[in-house]
Amino acid sequence: MELFTPDFGLVFWMFIAFIILFVILWKWGWPVIIKNMEERADTIDKGVEYAREAKHQLDNAREEARKYMEEASAKQAEMLRDAAKMKSQIIEEAKQQATVEAQKVMDAAKVSIEQSRKEAELQFRNEVSKFSIEIAEKMVRKQLDNDASQKALVDKMLDEIEKN
Amino acid sequence: MKRLLLIVSLILVTLPAFRSVADTAETHQLTQHEKIEAAEEEQAESKNLDVKEIIFHHLGDGYGWEVPFSHVYRIPLPVIVRAEDGKWFCFSSDKLTEVIVTENEETGKKEEHLVPVIHSVVRDGKEYLFYIPHLSENKNKVVELFPLTDAQQAEVNAMLIAEAKSKGTDLHHTVLAGYTKAGDHYYREYRPLDISITKNVLALFIAAVLVTVMVMCVVRFYTRKGMKAPRKGMGFFEMLIDFIYTGVIKANLGKNAPKYAPYLLTCFFFILTMNLLGLIVIFPGGANLTGNIAITLVLAVLTFIITNVKGTKHYWKEIFWPDVPMFLKFPLPIMQMIEIFGMFTKPAALCVRLFANMMGGHMIVITLTLLIFIFAAFGAAASGGATAISIFFSCFMLLLDVLVSFIQAYVFTLLSTMFIAMSQESGHHDEVEA
Repeated sequence: MELFTPDFGLVFWMFIAFIILFVILWKWGWPVIIKNMEERADTIDKGVEYAREAKHQLDNAREEARKYMEEASAKQAEMLRDAAKMKSQIIEEAKQQATVEAQKVMDAAKVSIEQSRKEAELQFRNEVSKFSIEIAEKMVRKQLDNDASQKALVDKMLDEIEKN
Repeated sequence: MKRLLLIVSLILVTLPAFRSVADTAETHQLTQHEKIEAAEEEQAESKNLDVKEIIFHHLGDGYGWEVPFSHVYRIPLPVIVRAEDGKWFCFSSDKLTEVIVTENEETGKKEEHLVPVIHSVVRDGKEYLFYIPHLSENKNKVVELFPLTDAQQAEVNAMLIAEAKSKGTDLHHTVLAGYTKAGDHYYREYRPLDISITKNVLALFIAAVLVTVMVMCVVRFYTRKGMKAPRKGMGFFEMLIDFIYTGVIKANLGKNAPKYAPYLLTCFFFILTMNLLGLIVIFPGGANLTGNIAITLVLAVLTFIITNVKGTKHYWKEIFWPDVPMFLKFPLPIMQMIEIFGMFTKPAALCVRLFANMMGGHMIVITLTLLIFIFAAFGAAASGGATAISIFFSCFMLLLDVLVSFIQAYVFTLLSTMFIAMSQESGHHDEVEA
């Protein structure tokens, strides 16, 4: 059978054709293609990795920004609260101080009033005593202008001293 | 367009061969009468359909390439042969055939027949005769003829009668080893060393050029466009390369992949191109290349050589001292014999698998087509039905063959890769059995 017996001519040319084809493709064909395909695959991989990284970073950045915003608003609130607190404190302090001051003024006023009152009292007393002595002197002078009455008085005084 | 130019230039390159021999002598040419006789004989034989003959004609090789819609006219190809005395001859294949026009006696139509003629070349005063015999051991191959004397003719005739008697065949169809009949005379024949550019060889070159062009297109694309990805046809080609390289070669060979990839990729694309070209019916295709054992044999032998030349110590140890119980390998080297046998059966299986698959596909399509002519004898209805069915099945089979073309190229590459991978194992106990 012709089909099952390899023909020398065909084997010969096949060998030559295949070797030439192989050498050409081996030198200038396959390595270039394989290198390029692998490089491109690597580049795509890197690109994907880079994009993923970038997305990750972006997400992080967003998160951070949100955090900063939150922090800032928290600080703002705190500051506002502090300010309010300080304000009320200052007012309170001012009030207290004012009260103290007022008290002091009142106390001073009270003291001076008291003093004036005491002085007035003293003065009044002195006046009263002076008046009363004058009155008494006048009365005594009137009653003791005769001797009998003087003697009755001395007796009475002596009685009293004896009883004691 | 490019491909057409390529083919034309390829033919032009081979043209000088056609003119190489100018001086022909008329002494041993067949006479016109003999040619007409041969034509009539062919006509008579073509009436009864010889299915086997037709199938093998289509599957086999040829010295010319038939053009569509004609059995007679062929694209001539150079015949290169080494005569018995060691001289090389190169001439066009159309010198070996001639178209004879006969008139059909029944219908009166002119019919054209291709008949073999003797091509005679005179060189250094000696005449060389070349012929393509129909009735010989070297059927449809170029042979060199040597004229016999009348006495020798008679002797051959006697031998022929004896041969026909002993085999019980018809005298006109008896083959006598070493002799052939051209016209009315017998000649001694010699099958010269034949490296003609036959149909298959030209198809082989076309396939090789096509593969080179395809690969170089991709390479040029890379050098021009750098990292861009190719689109459309080139993208598909690259996808195939990647499919084979990553899916088969890298997966099996690992770090050795770049070393063997050129061979395996060349194998794959060469086989695939040859397979697909074989399915195209007209000129650049139509040659049953991978369904020819010579082609698959060369490929299998190359795989065998690579496997064994590049085999590691471990590979040889597995052959000559495998890890099996001692009684299997010591007094009687049973395992060694099996392993050595296996060394040869693996590439043989590669060779036969591709050959048988592709040849089988072609054979089925041809047989289905021939059904039309076989059924033609049973009347119009039968032949009409057979035509419809056979066209449907032929188309189906051709489409299936497209798939088979790819699968067989893939399987050949995959198995070659696995055999090489097995020979590359450096050690320990990961055993791969085929």
